[in-house]
Amino acid sequence: MSPLPQILLDGLFAGGAYALMAAGMALILGVVKVINLSHGAFFSLGAYVAYAMAARGVAGPAAAVPAAAIAFAFGVFLGKSFVNPARSHPFALPVGTLACALLFEQAAQLAWGPHPLAVDGGVPWAGPLGVAVRRWGAVAFLASAALLGGLKLLLSSRPGLPLKLVAEDEEIAASVGMDVEAVRYLTFGGACAMAAAAGALLAPAGAITPTMGRLPLVLSLIVVIVAGMESVGAVFLLSIALGILGNVCAFYLSPQWSYVALLCVVALLLAARPAGIVTVAGRRD
Amino acid sequence: MDTRSHDKTLSPVSIIGSAALFLSLFLLPLDLAAETQGKSVKIGVLAPLSGPYAGGGTSFVQAATLAAEQANAEGGVLGRPVSVVVADTQGRVDVAKSEALRLISREKATALVGAYLSEETVGVMEVAAAHRKVLIVPVAATAEITDRVRGEYARYRYVFRVGYSIPQWAELVAAFLSSRSVRRYAFVGAGIRWNRELGETLERAASRAGISPTYAAFYSPANPAFDPVAVAAAGSAPDIVVLGDPGRNSVSFLKRLREVAPALPAFSIGGALGDARLAASLPRTAPVYVQAAAWRGGSLRASEYSERYERRYGTPPVGYSDTLPYDAVTVLVAAWRKAGSLDAAPVVAALEKGAFDGVSGTYRFDESHQARWGAKAGDLRGTVVQWERDGARIVFPPR
Repeated sequence: MSPLPQILLDGLFAGGAYALMAAGMALILGVVKVINLSHGAFFSLGAYVAYAMAARGVAGPAAAVPAAAIAFAFGVFLGKSFVNPARSHPFALPVGTLACALLFEQAAQLAWGPHPLAVDGGVPWAGPLGVAVRRWGAVAFLASAALLGGLKLLLSSRPGLPLKLVAEDEEIAASVGMDVEAVRYLTFGGACAMAAAAGALLAPAGAITPTMGRLPLVLSLIVVIVAGMESVGAVFLLSIALGILGNVCAFYLSPQWSYVALLCVVALLLAARPAGIVTVAGRRD
Repeated sequence: MDTRSHDKTLSPVSIIGSAALFLSLFLLPLDLAAETQGKSVKIGVLAPLSGPYAGGGTSFVQAATLAAEQANAEGGVLGRPVSVVVADTQGRVDVAKSEALRLISREKATALVGAYLSEETVGVMEVAAAHRKVLIVPVAATAEITDRVRGEYARYRYVFRVGYSIPQWAELVAAFLSSRSVRRYAFVGAGIRWNRELGETLERAASRAGISPTYAAFYSPANPAFDPVAVAAAGSAPDIVVLGDPGRNSVSFLKRLREVAPALPAFSIGGALGDARLAASLPRTAPVYVQAAAWRGGSLRASEYSERYERRYGTPPVGYSDTLPYDAVTVLVAAWRKAGSLDAAPVVAALEKGAFDGVSGTYRFDESHQARWGAKAGDLRGTVVQWERDGARIVFPPR
């Protein structure tokens, strides 16, 4: 039996996991226009909430709901008290959000201890061709497809108009009476909720530690920068492509070369399209 | 990034909050280092208490603290109490070196125990050698440590390792595999130097017992591609998969392995998978073996230590990143008592000639100042446990 179907399916699921994180990151970069280096900390927060819920007998994707709610509250607070006021200082936000991430890591260490924790992922489903369908992978993939589909729908409908308008030109948005500040901090909170939901859904995939959000942060940043922030579909498809590429390279080349190959592809794409692979003419500064 | 100006500026609350946030980052670790006493004999303990290795580092410090308390309960050293002064190395060589210097020059530590990673420890060796301070290495396994002692004895004679070296570790693993009638194994580790060293050394040690590798892979710590590695390892049809990474990634990898090959046994070289809470979250569809320096039930000392550790910290020890630092402090204290002095020269002489009881057994050091771990009479044997539904059972060495 060929291992290729398993490698491709796992790559698809890995891509779904990248997309889950990248969705929120794209929203923050597109609307709030800041690099949020605390995004990974919200991912970790979601995983810890999933652990706490599992310890109380609530296992599975249901943990994503309280995780998202808690992260939304934290995100709105952070957006209102720090991100909005500090936005005009170009270096304050990356440094400030990084400090928030480190503070979260310390707080998580104090609250849950520095030792890895784990949530039971359940037995995988048996698929065709002897393929094992990882439950958490399928859930993450479907959730990211639904989340990004919902986001695309929102942005193309009337309720999503404030987001689009603020993303395109804040001054015009303010001149037509929109509360730009509120749009910004609510978007920030929503994006943090997405990261936490991703953390909760992916908690069964590995060990839960205070620093577990660092890797997804880097990968989601890569995806968003390469895909550009203007097409939700591009974020999703690029995530899937990178997930499959990474897995195929790891299997056929070497696990260590998979990351190098992934970064090479990213570098080539950025060299060809510095503003991202999808940009809409006339929209960018 | 938007660089247009905005009329809103930072409020005083935000400024104070941000300042408090930054300060707290620096102040939090200091609480852990606050355990100093007036005329006590200070042991400088170097371990990562923040960053990716904080889990192992915290166990390290907890065990070292417990050993110092035990030493005080037994009367201290030369009529003085023993205290532990902790330094957070953050898993970084530069920080480890500067913290070692601080422990020696500012905290007046009499001896050092640490560090955690091999790279950090090699850096700390330099500081200890330059200041002629005894350094006991509990967990760092690279051969470079003992090679330096052997090669430049006059300079590095202050350095002793209680933990197993990579060749010893490989021999212990090969002996276990042989005892389980394993003929073929897959090796998976992190793409770091000492893990590669272990994989290569194990291959040589295992071949002497007629055991051969079917697959070896080292995932990138920056983006560990667990899924394809698990598929490839299982696809090579080994009798067992050897997990060479003692950290949290071994847990993630084992989860993926169980999903694609539920019946394939796995052997961990120790570390995170020695944690009962983590082991409980893994499917029991095939045996999970974990190597440890010592385990509850292995000896009276091991059981007493394990119970004391659990009573104090709420969780049982994992048998590696806690047990070896405990023994490091115990051996150091015993050497001070044996030498009747805190001066480095007599302590080095005592360590070179003496035998010291610890949780893992009786420590004796060879000419490169490496504790004798192995299968020969008088060697420290280590142990292997198998996780079962109601806890861990010792399966090696056979009794």
